[in-house]
Amino acid sequence: MHTLSVQTQSTAITEPRWVRYTLISITLIFLSLFLLIPLISVFTEGLRGGINKYFAAMVEPDAIAAIQLTLITAAIAVPLNLVFGVAAAWAIAKFEFTGKSLLITLIDLPFAVSPVISGLIFVLLFGLQGVFGEWLAASDIKLIFAVPGIVLATIFVTFPFVARELIPLLQSQGNDEEEAALVLGATGWQTFWHVTLPNIKWGLLYGVILCNARAMGEFGAVSVVSGHIRGLTNTMPLHVEILYNEYNFIAAFAVASLLAILALITLALKTFVEWRVQTQVLINDPDVAS
Amino acid sequence: MSIEIQNVSKTFNKFNALNNINLHIPTGELVALLGPSGCGKTTLLRIIAGLEFADKGSIFFYGEDTTARSVRDRQVGFVFQHYALFRHMTVFENVAFGLRMKPRAQRPSDKQIQSKVDDLLNLVQMQGLADRFPRQLSGGQRQRIALARALAVEPKVLLLDEPFGALDTKVRKELRRWLRHLHDTVHITSVFVTHDQEEAMEVSDRVVVMNKGQVEQVGTPDELYEHAVNPFVYQFLGNVNVFKGHLDQDSHFHTNDDNRVASASAYVRPHDLEISRIADGESIAATVLSVLSLGATVRVELLDVQDITLEAELSKELSRTLDLKKGDQVFVKPKQMRVFTASGAVVAAA
Amino acid sequence: MLLRLKQHSVLPGFHLALGYTIFYLSLIVLIPLSMVFFKTSTMGWERFWTVVTEPRVMASYRITFGAALIAAMINAFFGLLVAWVLERYQFFGKRFIDALVDLPFALPTAVAGIALASIYSSNGWIGQYLEPLGIKVAFTPLGIIVALTFIGLPFVVRTVQPVLQDLERELEEAAASLGATRWQTFKCVIFPSIFPPLLTGFALAFARGLGEYGSVVFIAGNMPMISEITPLLIITKLEQYDYAGATAIAVVMLVVSFILLFLINLLQWWTGKRCR
Repeated sequence: MHTLSVQTQSTAITEPRWVRYTLISITLIFLSLFLLIPLISVFTEGLRGGINKYFAAMVEPDAIAAIQLTLITAAIAVPLNLVFGVAAAWAIAKFEFTGKSLLITLIDLPFAVSPVISGLIFVLLFGLQGVFGEWLAASDIKLIFAVPGIVLATIFVTFPFVARELIPLLQSQGNDEEEAALVLGATGWQTFWHVTLPNIKWGLLYGVILCNARAMGEFGAVSVVSGHIRGLTNTMPLHVEILYNEYNFIAAFAVASLLAILALITLALKTFVEWRVQTQVLINDPDVAS
Repeated sequence: MSIEIQNVSKTFNKFNALNNINLHIPTGELVALLGPSGCGKTTLLRIIAGLEFADKGSIFFYGEDTTARSVRDRQVGFVFQHYALFRHMTVFENVAFGLRMKPRAQRPSDKQIQSKVDDLLNLVQMQGLADRFPRQLSGGQRQRIALARALAVEPKVLLLDEPFGALDTKVRKELRRWLRHLHDTVHITSVFVTHDQEEAMEVSDRVVVMNKGQVEQVGTPDELYEHAVNPFVYQFLGNVNVFKGHLDQDSHFHTNDDNRVASASAYVRPHDLEISRIADGESIAATVLSVLSLGATVRVELLDVQDITLEAELSKELSRTLDLKKGDQVFVKPKQMRVFTASGAVVAAA
Repeated sequence: MLLRLKQHSVLPGFHLALGYTIFYLSLIVLIPLSMVFFKTSTMGWERFWTVVTEPRVMASYRITFGAALIAAMINAFFGLLVAWVLERYQFFGKRFIDALVDLPFALPTAVAGIALASIYSSNGWIGQYLEPLGIKVAFTPLGIIVALTFIGLPFVVRTVQPVLQDLERELEEAAASLGATRWQTFKCVIFPSIFPPLLTGFALAFARGLGEYGSVVFIAGNMPMISEITPLLIITKLEQYDYAGATAIAVVMLVVSFILLFLINLLQWWTGKRCR
């Protein structure tokens, strides 16, 4: 016990032991109630009917269609927002121009909008009564209550993730290395590929992980534009909702547990990347090394 | 490769960084841009490199106008203040970078690159560290790699921005000598920026003293030290004592009030200030404030009758003979001084 | 022109990158968002006002604002506590707990919604112990608060934590050496410097709570006038093909969100300025 307290006390100034233990206990109880128990319940509820029913819920055709649609949606939304994020971060972090802070605020806008409204705006654009509604109907193109609408709404809600990870990262790295590459005769693209990209790869991955998690898990916005057509326009979260509302709790939680696993993988990757970035910053810090 | 700078001006957000600069840098010389921080020296260097563009004026490399040329095409070597080594590449890859980025037709073969990089690492005495990453190197080693990387593309001019600024004193002195030696071997026209007058004097063939976006004086270290054209240059190049006084009809400087014609100041280096126990015609009475041994020399702080603090530097032997103590009454006399009028013009070298 | 380079730079790609950024931003965000205002402008002020002040809509504002506010306050308190414990104390499983805090960011809201609904229902893991005490969580406004607390927690923790980490230990040591007790040090030295981020985190959690839909609908019970949140009302109106009504309510929510966003930006700017 004594050695433990020596290890933990890096400084003589801290709270009395009883205060520390009380605070730690309250924290653990609070987090268990609000985070841990809900997480565990997803798996136990899903397994309530035994392992066979659990897996049966996942291989059912509608579930498979939902999984496929979720993967397709993420596969379109994430790369698009990735390219945008890199372009936006390059313009914002590497150059000084008027209107920059306004641009940053506008990029963050989708985070401030309720998911329901994120869906609504696309209904207003492409729905039957929407601005392009009549024209789309005449051309026999269906965007709302169809896959394109789901993809659009997903792109909207995951829009800022990559950009907002990269902007501060690029800003903190300064322009020195890029300038050095240019002086050495590299072209703009060569500079970006060989110098900038390797330096931001972890931040990029971080943004992509978060963007992907949201893209696969988005519910509100997608719910508005989907039309809930089984096997066609249901993503995994929507499929969970339908099963739940039909009182098919075991199947609902079984599919939900897949999404929970995705969340756990996201958290694990995120923690790993954070650790990588931290150690990288530490060893790259010239003040520490010299 | 000479560099010609003509009428270059640059403004940042209404701040005049450079004000009509004209400068000639002769082929093969190592030239220092010296000045206090914010004087525009780094901006001038970056304009020469093409990393910054002048609002007005032109840059010529060996008679050829390069003003409009991009940084890629100027063929300059640039060493950044914080080295800007590519942190995710090894030392070898860093040095090879410029060669690998050449268009395919001009790109050397892997074998040629290998031997070229080896040669350069030998030149900067870093052989055997080719596989290290920048973070595994000391500051001095990073500096050498940055230099090797800049030289790899065989630049026509070498530009160095505060090359020793981030190093500790001992390494800095070592690298200075080494840079001078290196320049004597490769003979590439080089410009480096520094705020350290000792560094500028020790390393360069020629020093350009800058202040507030303007060139104050250009000359060899000796010329500048002995024949500063204005008080700023004189003060910037070393410690100095200032005596306020007047000029008489023959333009002689006096600290007393006789025959005053115009006010003027006399500038005296600490080692040109003679201390004596006995008064003589022109000497000034002063009290010893402190005696500080600096190894080979002794620094004496004095307070003169005008209540101005003076600083004198004596040899150890002389100080032993004088045997100065705090509170002693002594007399000081300049062996050599430089007199400037109130407007900053040189009067005469006494 | 608004977006113009202040200083010429040697780095290439400014026009390409900025041009693409603005193009994509307009296409995905600005034009679609402006539709809401465009659509509303066609319905006339009087009708707009009638729709957004209907009793059922007013009740939904009260429920949404009230629940988001209470949840944000709970989060401000516990978020500060969690950040403090994670930053200052060593205990078994700390890394795991630290990663777990981000769960609400990573877990799809629908999953959170059904999980919370099931454990707080009258025969759920937690609900069964609350039921005898006369506390009903699921299918009441209390359930909304629970869901919004879940959703908002990471906002407070993740804004306070880095500031707490960067706080100079010397300040506390100085305070202690000057004779301050630990509580005095916290109150007078530590709290003032973490207050701006705490307020930012509170505002972020509140803003998120206002718009939240997925985690709430499963646990709220969704009874008009009692436990119906504003985003749900928008969906209800849409399902009844009342596009104008849905859009009018959306405009009210958007305006509130934008004001909050503006305040948060102001707060962050203020925090940044103070730190520098």
